[in-house]
Amino acid sequence: MSGFSSLDDLINEMTVNGKFLRADWNKLTHATGVQAAGTWYALPHATGNPAAMTLGAVGTNLAFHPAYEGMAGSIYHGGPVAPDTKHLINASAFSAAATTMPAIFMLVDMIGWYPVTTTTTTGNQALINSKTFTATAATPTVLTLAATWDAQTGTPLRFTTTTTLPAGLSLNTTYYWSRTGPGTGNVATSYANLAAGTFVACSDTGTGTHTATVYIGDRQPTHGAGVQAFLTPSVALGAGTPNIQLTYTDASGNTGNTTPTTLPISNATAPIGQIEYSGTGAGKCGPFVPLAAGDAGIRQVDQFNYNVTHTSGTTNVVLARPLLTLPMTTIGVAAERDLVNQLPSMPRVYDGACLVWLMYAGAATPVASAFYGHLDLAWG
Amino acid sequence: MGFANVAALVDAELAGRSTHTFFRKAPAVVTVAGAWFDYSMAPGNPAPQYYAAAPLVAQTMSRSGDGGIQHGGNVSPSTKHLRRLTAIAVAAAAVPQRLYLLDYLMFYPFVDMGTGEEQTMDNTQTLPRFADGAGVQVMAVLVAPHGLVGDTFFVTYTNQAGVPGRVTPLHTMTTAVSVNGTILTTQTAGAGRFGPFLALQTGDTGVRSIEAVQCTGGTDVGLFTMVLVKPLGEITVREITAPAEVDYMLDAGGKCPPIEDDAYVNFISCPNGSLTGTQLNGDALFVWN
Repeated sequence: MSGFSSLDDLINEMTVNGKFLRADWNKLTHATGVQAAGTWYALPHATGNPAAMTLGAVGTNLAFHPAYEGMAGSIYHGGPVAPDTKHLINASAFSAAATTMPAIFMLVDMIGWYPVTTTTTTGNQALINSKTFTATAATPTVLTLAATWDAQTGTPLRFTTTTTLPAGLSLNTTYYWSRTGPGTGNVATSYANLAAGTFVACSDTGTGTHTATVYIGDRQPTHGAGVQAFLTPSVALGAGTPNIQLTYTDASGNTGNTTPTTLPISNATAPIGQIEYSGTGAGKCGPFVPLAAGDAGIRQVDQFNYNVTHTSGTTNVVLARPLLTLPMTTIGVAAERDLVNQLPSMPRVYDGACLVWLMYAGAATPVASAFYGHLDLAWG
Repeated sequence: MGFANVAALVDAELAGRSTHTFFRKAPAVVTVAGAWFDYSMAPGNPAPQYYAAAPLVAQTMSRSGDGGIQHGGNVSPSTKHLRRLTAIAVAAAAVPQRLYLLDYLMFYPFVDMGTGEEQTMDNTQTLPRFADGAGVQVMAVLVAPHGLVGDTFFVTYTNQAGVPGRVTPLHTMTTAVSVNGTILTTQTAGAGRFGPFLALQTGDTGVRSIEAVQCTGGTDVGLFTMVLVKPLGEITVREITAPAEVDYMLDAGGKCPPIEDDAYVNFISCPNGSLTGTQLNGDALFVWN
């Protein structure tokens, strides 16, 4: 049985079996522009340890890009542990830098993002979550996606077909893309196999038309449960204050859901890292885009919409699942969270989870202000 | 539906039936210790509201129409509850600070302090939530500064059982402070000041509507608004070096306050000094099932 049957079992797994990892981290606030008071920032693409993630125009504009443990910007948490399950048991954060307080840090599992370089476009822009593909009968099989989707390594996919999938691929099974070129790649059956370079072989090419679709459901209790969306620029946005609307598939599989009619309003000239609709005043919220009434999460975002343009810049529609928060009030004093004695206790960190921080700046926080902390993880 | 047990609450949260939100209020007025203040009128996030509507006409309040703390969309027939609340104050003048989280239901704007005549309310609109008035309280919020002369007033209302003509005791207006957002019946000392909510007639536990307000002196300038609210939860920020956190499941005997569909939710505060230039930061987690 995975998980912990008792507190004794948790202690035994950590102290006898060594299934414990302490992950220290430090991140600096973004290097451009004071982090405005009352505003949220995403730190995966800020410098520090882990290093800055490269968001934005990687691969195909508007296409899903995965985030997973091992890529730049993710906190290392010990690698895959299946069939065990891994959990957070303690966390801390602090800063010794002046005028950084108060702050609230939120740890999230960043699932992936959709880069939007077309911020000067208004109206619905279709995001790319699936394409038809062909596969070679080879070891390993080489898949070629229909134009145009330059899928990036680590993209979790599930396959469907009008007739029969290539022998070697299965329905209702998650595969992980390993990019070999624009639109071509191999697939692995797990993050561990992806890292090891162990790829799937096919003995034929199948029949009919095959489709590959992003599937993020292996990083939540059920597909899309608790997954939220936020937007953060990777190239500073130009002038303009558009209303933002997302059309998405919810955690129950309903398509065409839209964010509420009271829409978040993007900040003019939002700098890199800012959650672009957060702040104070009308139309500001955060860190996540409000969902339609009653929705419990997002499986995929289908459309992105600015009603007017920014004059320039690149933003990213990021999918993430919140895990914990750490409120801080005092410089030099660590905020600590004992997650064993919380409810729900010990948030699960799924294999492949990309752990990153979001930051709420309670005060105007200088550029490159250092924050530090740690995570304790145990598995069994 | 609510939560049949702890497991149901945990399952709901893990299934994503939750909304995490934050707030940051930054008053620009000079409050004084012990005089309660209405954060809904303070700048920040959520954006302020000012009880602007036709004088003496009941006006309902809602998340969709008036704003307030973003607690997510409607979830009926499920029920939504406040699960956790964190509040942070970083200015010494702002602590200790007791906060009530309220569901703002309805208000009657612009009661005139300058007349001793009875001011009759228009009740075309009725309570949008907690419709019978059980547990609904009344607070008098200053919306145009008065002269600190300590006038008195009383309110005639319909109680939670639908009985009209109920009358509050005589309340005395504060002589301590006169800034917009002051809850008029509060200050640290003096008779006739019962706290943020009006004292009701003996035996009453709530208010369904207000029929009339009468200022017995009628000698002062200034305007105030009568606000019907449902208290939801309490949190006290005790010091600036630690956040205040309440887990209503673990710390309040499992009593997670209900949040009605489209509720306008915001705070009132009992400060320990001036809140001007201070900020109240925090976050909240709402869960539904």
